[in-house]
Amino acid sequence: MTNFHPDLDLITEYTAGSLPLTQSACVSLHISHCRRCQGIAGQLSDLGASLFEALEPAPVGDAQLNAVLARLDEEVPLSYARTSKDTSNTPAILQRLMRGDFSDLSWKNIGSTLRISYLQAGDPQHELAIYHFNAGGRIPEHTHRGSEMTLILQGGFSDAHGSYHKGDFLVRRQGDVHAPTALQSEDCICLVVLDAPLKFIDWKFRWMNPFLKLRTV
Amino acid sequence: MLTVTDKFDDETDSQVEPSGKRTDEWSECLTLIGKNEDRAAFTRLFRHFAPLMKAFALSGSTLSANNADELVQEVMLKVWQKAGAFNAEKAAASTWIYTIARNSRTDLFRRLQKFDTPLSADDVSGSQESEEAFMVLHQKRGRDRIRALINELPNDQAQILAKVYMEGKSHSEVAGELDIPLGTVKSRVRLALQKLQIRFED
Ligand SMILES: [Zn+2]
Repeated sequence: MTNFHPDLDLITEYTAGSLPLTQSACVSLHISHCRRCQGIAGQLSDLGASLFEALEPAPVGDAQLNAVLARLDEEVPLSYARTSKDTSNTPAILQRLMRGDFSDLSWKNIGSTLRISYLQAGDPQHELAIYHFNAGGRIPEHTHRGSEMTLILQGGFSDAHGSYHKGDFLVRRQGDVHAPTALQSEDCICLVVLDAPLKFIDWKFRWMNPFLKLRTV
Repeated sequence: MLTVTDKFDDETDSQVEPSGKRTDEWSECLTLIGKNEDRAAFTRLFRHFAPLMKAFALSGSTLSANNADELVQEVMLKVWQKAGAFNAEKAAASTWIYTIARNSRTDLFRRLQKFDTPLSADDVSGSQESEEAFMVLHQKRGRDRIRALINELPNDQAQILAKVYMEGKSHSEVAGELDIPLGTVKSRVRLALQKLQIRFED
């Protein structure tokens, strides 16, 4: 059971299809584990469908119908056969973005407790990355130049505001400062979406700030 | 409240049998297509939904007429190909079809903006189909309530919902377009959702 959820504004944009790709991926992973958010996302999709059904129909000619009828025997793309259930520990969305498992990713070490692997999601405005904190490890205090969306995939962490566990969804806004510490019991793995680079405050890490660019690839 | 819902039920043929099964024309069509590859059922569905899809494609008018026609064809083809996965006991036909249209339009927007991504909107939109019978019935009541109340929204709220859902604009895009603060957009959306009784249930 998760305790931290995306807010109603985010789920509205998510169900309307207007959320950026990487943020949608993050919200969708939370929702797949959260019945509370599934319930509201279902209602909001029904709202979208009601508005859709109430649209003023735009004329579509028989030529269009015939063009589609002529294509009905086309082979069905393999991707449609995908099931919605995850068969492994790695969520399907992440499987599509990485080859192999978390251990096969290429990691960049940030100090001794954190490593980051950047995923190539093709969203030009956002960076999508997997953060791996060692159990009990503390992340240097940092502030946010933009917004940061975090979904906990494994383990958990705490900061001055609370403690968070698998499936929890968090948003930090511009100017929020925090220094999260991974729970002692196990390593913590998070999916993180950034729309601007972080900025370290801790003097030992400040030298990195000029090198922290958004990696959107 | 109940009277509104009841009145709505009388106006349509949509009913839930004791088993929780939905019987309405469009879910029957989808089921026939899924089971028997029924082209007549598909044609009926096309004549009803293709004009809605075209209107949806043209909402916000960022797509050309050609793109809109392509989208209609693509979505209707997907409806045919995916109908085997439609489960009338778990999903409403209109929501199922709308979801395909929404995701296809999002993917088309991204293709037109030359996004190069391994993910499709289907990958990141998940499924909101409930597994339990009581939830299915609950959702069906929610749908009827939304449809009954939607016409009673004040204009400014209805306008915002149309921009958010039909034009597919983010809250900040809507704020920019209407030249109103982002907070106003968010509060109008939230007020509309309150009126439609869409809320988190703990
Ligand atoms: Zn949730």
